[in-house]
Amino acid sequence: MSGRGRLVAAAGILVLGFLLAVGLLEARVQEAAQASVKPAAAAPGPEKPAAVRPARERMAAYVILGWVWFSIGVLLWILRLRVREADRVHRMGWVRAGEAGPKRSEH
Amino acid sequence: MKALRAWTEDRLGIRPVAAFLAKKEVPCHKHTVLYYTGSSILFFLGIQIVTGVLLALYYQPTLAEANASVVRIMTEMPLGWLIRSVHSWSATFMIALVFVHLMGIAFTKAYRKPREATWLTGVLLLGSSLAFGFTGYLLPWDELSLAATKVGTNLPKALPVIGTWLTRVMRAGDDVTGDTLTRFFIVHVSVLPLALLAILGVHVFLVQRHGMSVPLEAERDKIKLPWLPFWPNFLLREAGVWLVLLGVLLTVAVFLAPGIGPQADLMAPAPEGIKPEWYFLFMFQTLKLFPARILGLNGEMIAVMIMMAGMAAVLLLPFIDNRPLERKGKVITGLAWAGLAYAVGLSIWSLL
Repeated sequence: MSGRGRLVAAAGILVLGFLLAVGLLEARVQEAAQASVKPAAAAPGPEKPAAVRPARERMAAYVILGWVWFSIGVLLWILRLRVREADRVHRMGWVRAGEAGPKRSEH
Repeated sequence: MKALRAWTEDRLGIRPVAAFLAKKEVPCHKHTVLYYTGSSILFFLGIQIVTGVLLALYYQPTLAEANASVVRIMTEMPLGWLIRSVHSWSATFMIALVFVHLMGIAFTKAYRKPREATWLTGVLLLGSSLAFGFTGYLLPWDELSLAATKVGTNLPKALPVIGTWLTRVMRAGDDVTGDTLTRFFIVHVSVLPLALLAILGVHVFLVQRHGMSVPLEAERDKIKLPWLPFWPNFLLREAGVWLVLLGVLLTVAVFLAPGIGPQADLMAPAPEGIKPEWYFLFMFQTLKLFPARILGLNGEMIAVMIMMAGMAAVLLLPFIDNRPLERKGKVITGLAWAGLAYAVGLSIWSLL
């Protein structure tokens, strides 16, 4: 950032800080003055929880979740084997390339 | 099988794409983890599309039926509550990852030449994601979503010249009504997806065009970093990350499924404790800090204009920090950290 850019950025931060400070002070004064005339806000109505559902379905969700995590575990194990194999093949390529040329990578 | 492959190749000509992917290299360095955020965003976007289509099959965007249809989805449709919960949580995860992705790029200065357009499309994608969140928040049509939308759509009003018009366009009238709900639904399910997919296409193309960014030092000194083939080494690793994310998403969705409040009443006063989604909290708190008038000027207008200036600065970051590779850009890094601290700090303050 150029010197002029820095100056603009610094001026922007100063102006923002000043506005925030003035705003905070004025907000306090206005809040105190408006407190008596503010209309009463209604309390939010009761929320219908998502848990309102048959126990059977809830149990099904937990079973599905357990099954999902088990499947993920198995798939991750398979993926790990595949990644190792793919990395081994890739390293072999590096080694061959290194043998062919003067440079050898540290991968 | 061979005949089918040949038939497909004759018509689609995808061999060059396959050859490109087979040769694509992924550099390995201290910021490689950032590469996973991009693909994870795509993963969550896919989940959003699938669950969104399922929800749209039963959702009715009318004043009388919107809230009731969401209640029906949650209580009567088989696993409807889970689909809605996954949709809601994957939106949260996706937006969080978009923020992480952009911050990572800002801190590593990966937006510099020749990747300015990639950054621009990335910020537009963030904007689209936030617009998805904003329009989706109203759809359950409960007390809190109505009140939050009233506050959100009132913001542009503070802008000079176009403010009132913009608010009217967003609300489809002077106030938030059933027409607003219909408009938000259409924007949520058709306008935004089309826009997002178009921008995403350009973004992904640009990432492929310029290659994955590497640390400044490596780019400057033209150091050939260790690399992994995209296929299969990197893609298999990404698949592992997606699986773990899927597990976490489903677990959170099952145990923390969102509820729904009572149907919105257009004539009722705003309820207490209106809060927007977490990603808008810092803006909400900033607005609360600004009083009605500052030095004789409209305080809300000043706040909105400052926030818009901030967004413009983020969008145009590659053109503000367009220095050569040798320069590290510590001022920009400092400002990015300050912005992050400000957003996090004010969001926490808003929650207290």
